[in-house]
Amino acid sequence: MKRKLFLTAIIVVAAASTAFAQGRKSLRLNEVMVQNESSIVDDYGERHGWIELFNSNFAPLEISSVYLTNDPQQPKKYPVPLGDVNTRIAKRQHVVFFADGQPDKGTFHTNFVLEPGKDNWVGVYDADGITLIDEVFIPASLAADNSYARSVDGAGEWVVRDGGVAYITPSSANVIRDTNNKIEEFAERDANGFGMTVMAMCIVFCALLVLCLCFYGIGKIGASVSRLNKMRAHGVEKHEVAKGDIAHDSGEEIAAIVMALHDHLDAHDTENTILTINKVKRAYSPWSSKIYGLREVPGVNHRR
Amino acid sequence: MSFGDFLLKNLQQFWELTGFANAEIGNFVMLAVGLFFIWLAIKKNFEPMLLVPIGFGILIGNVPFNTGAGLEIGIYEEGSVLNILYNGVSAGWYPPLIFLGIGAMTDFSALIANPKLMLIGAAAQFGIFGAYMVALAIGFAPDQAGAIAIIGGADGPTAIFLSSKLAPNLMGAIAVSAYSYMALVPVIQPPLMRLFTTKKERLIRMKPARAVSQNEKIIFPIVGMLLTCFVVPSGLPLLGMLFFGNLLRECGVTNRLAKTASNALTDIVTILLGMTVGASTQASQFLTPQTIFIFFLGFMAFIIASSSGVLFVKLFNLILPKDQKINPLIGNAGVSAVPMSARISNNLGLEYDPSNYLLMHAMGPNVAGVIGSAVAAGVLLGFLA
Repeated sequence: MKRKLFLTAIIVVAAASTAFAQGRKSLRLNEVMVQNESSIVDDYGERHGWIELFNSNFAPLEISSVYLTNDPQQPKKYPVPLGDVNTRIAKRQHVVFFADGQPDKGTFHTNFVLEPGKDNWVGVYDADGITLIDEVFIPASLAADNSYARSVDGAGEWVVRDGGVAYITPSSANVIRDTNNKIEEFAERDANGFGMTVMAMCIVFCALLVLCLCFYGIGKIGASVSRLNKMRAHGVEKHEVAKGDIAHDSGEEIAAIVMALHDHLDAHDTENTILTINKVKRAYSPWSSKIYGLREVPGVNHRR
Repeated sequence: MSFGDFLLKNLQQFWELTGFANAEIGNFVMLAVGLFFIWLAIKKNFEPMLLVPIGFGILIGNVPFNTGAGLEIGIYEEGSVLNILYNGVSAGWYPPLIFLGIGAMTDFSALIANPKLMLIGAAAQFGIFGAYMVALAIGFAPDQAGAIAIIGGADGPTAIFLSSKLAPNLMGAIAVSAYSYMALVPVIQPPLMRLFTTKKERLIRMKPARAVSQNEKIIFPIVGMLLTCFVVPSGLPLLGMLFFGNLLRECGVTNRLAKTASNALTDIVTILLGMTVGASTQASQFLTPQTIFIFFLGFMAFIIASSSGVLFVKLFNLILPKDQKINPLIGNAGVSAVPMSARISNNLGLEYDPSNYLLMHAMGPNVAGVIGSAVAAGVLLGFLA
């Protein structure tokens, strides 16, 4: 009973942790503009402060029923409406909410406004209205048409962007890349591929070396357990025998045991890779030659 | 318009849709390549299970048609049947399914019994990175070089998986090159093995492998997956499925699943993979100077991989005790090409000593090569994607 309860508890904890892992933690506040005088307009041709959210995950994220708020005391201030297909953010993509205090204009219009010249705080809460997913404190000094943005999408420091060299990027990446930096860096710093070769071969060797060492250990433990079992079967105590005294059964002995089992009980070894009397039937397949390669005694090559 | 004109106009439109009206010289070249592959498979028995689907796929992919007619039949036309089937290649989900089957049909006992053979599988991956350096020297970009170099892993699904991520435009040539050289392993490897070994080394007899318990066989895929994927998470699709398949096989309680994975599922995916990879080699995409370079680099990769496996064993023997020496003829098996390269080790060993069976010993590095090439693919993906 205790064992069953223990197992149930483990399953419940595992399920709960899975559910937590699948939450909307990947949602990020990414860029905010408080006073919009010349930046983007909404569907009605009007300018308002805006809040950009970013899905930092590599999978689509549904954000309906999360809460946007500018008041820590009211975490459930603006619930993102259900039933709008546009609330599903594609992987690594953005969505902009206009903070215009006019939620009747549509899904992406909040019921609060950001106040110029004052400190503003914006938070995103999960559907429970308790779990704070992300928050940002926007200083009162943020000028009109300046945005407060993360230096890199979904991560990094918050910095002020004035629209000059530090461009403002509603609904698009905060860092615009025209090349793959990793590849550029490899092309520039490792033009002959020597660095990649050294690194990669070290990793491949390490991975297989760790596996190799692990299975040396497991093999040793297995051998010692099997030796102990055998001693127990022979009724011999550990201190009575020196190491190596319990020898492996010879092939002939194993064959005799299997023959006896087969003849009298019509049974055979479950480990069909070791020894069996029953004919092993194999269905034909393109890959079956691999099995044959492992199991069949190879024929002598007569080509000399 | 008279009835005769009407018929003539429609017949003319029909003619414009036919392959004869749209054929270019490149189509005929590729059709000849497809026929050559089918001939190799049927007459020469070179990897027939792969070369027949690929060869026929090349025929399918190179039947000329009017691409402007909106027939939605081409493999690159979104929504066409071939395009839907091709998704398994372009999105990279056929290779992991093949790996599931490989895992379900592979016996890792030889490797578990003698874990040091894993290092040979690691050494042979030098072929990948040697080819990577040559590809960079020729002028390929690092991501393209990585995708091409994986041919040296001698593992078709891995090559397709990586090229679909790093260089999708080169995938057809890479896949065809990888499978072609895998079919040519019996031609490429023996001269190298003879070149790098002495007669005395070829006669080395290895100790028979110990028996492996079922517990060890069950632990292997679990520990193997966790260890390798913790080191290279980007190899998870391939390594995860490989070890999962092996667990189905070894755990003893999922025989039905293991049988399906190793037979029906693998057969289905092999057919679809081979056919769509073949069909993706349309003349306009395939007949380019890059393809010649890719075939050259694939050849280099195979030579480097086979040689480095053999040379590594010779080096390894310097530090091994006298009674545990490894026959360097099994070094070539470090490239995947399961089980062809292990058979070559065995056959060559028997040529020099008719009672020296190396097959089981060679299967160790052979299956380690599968793991090693998947790890190498994960490394390249991690660095370059």
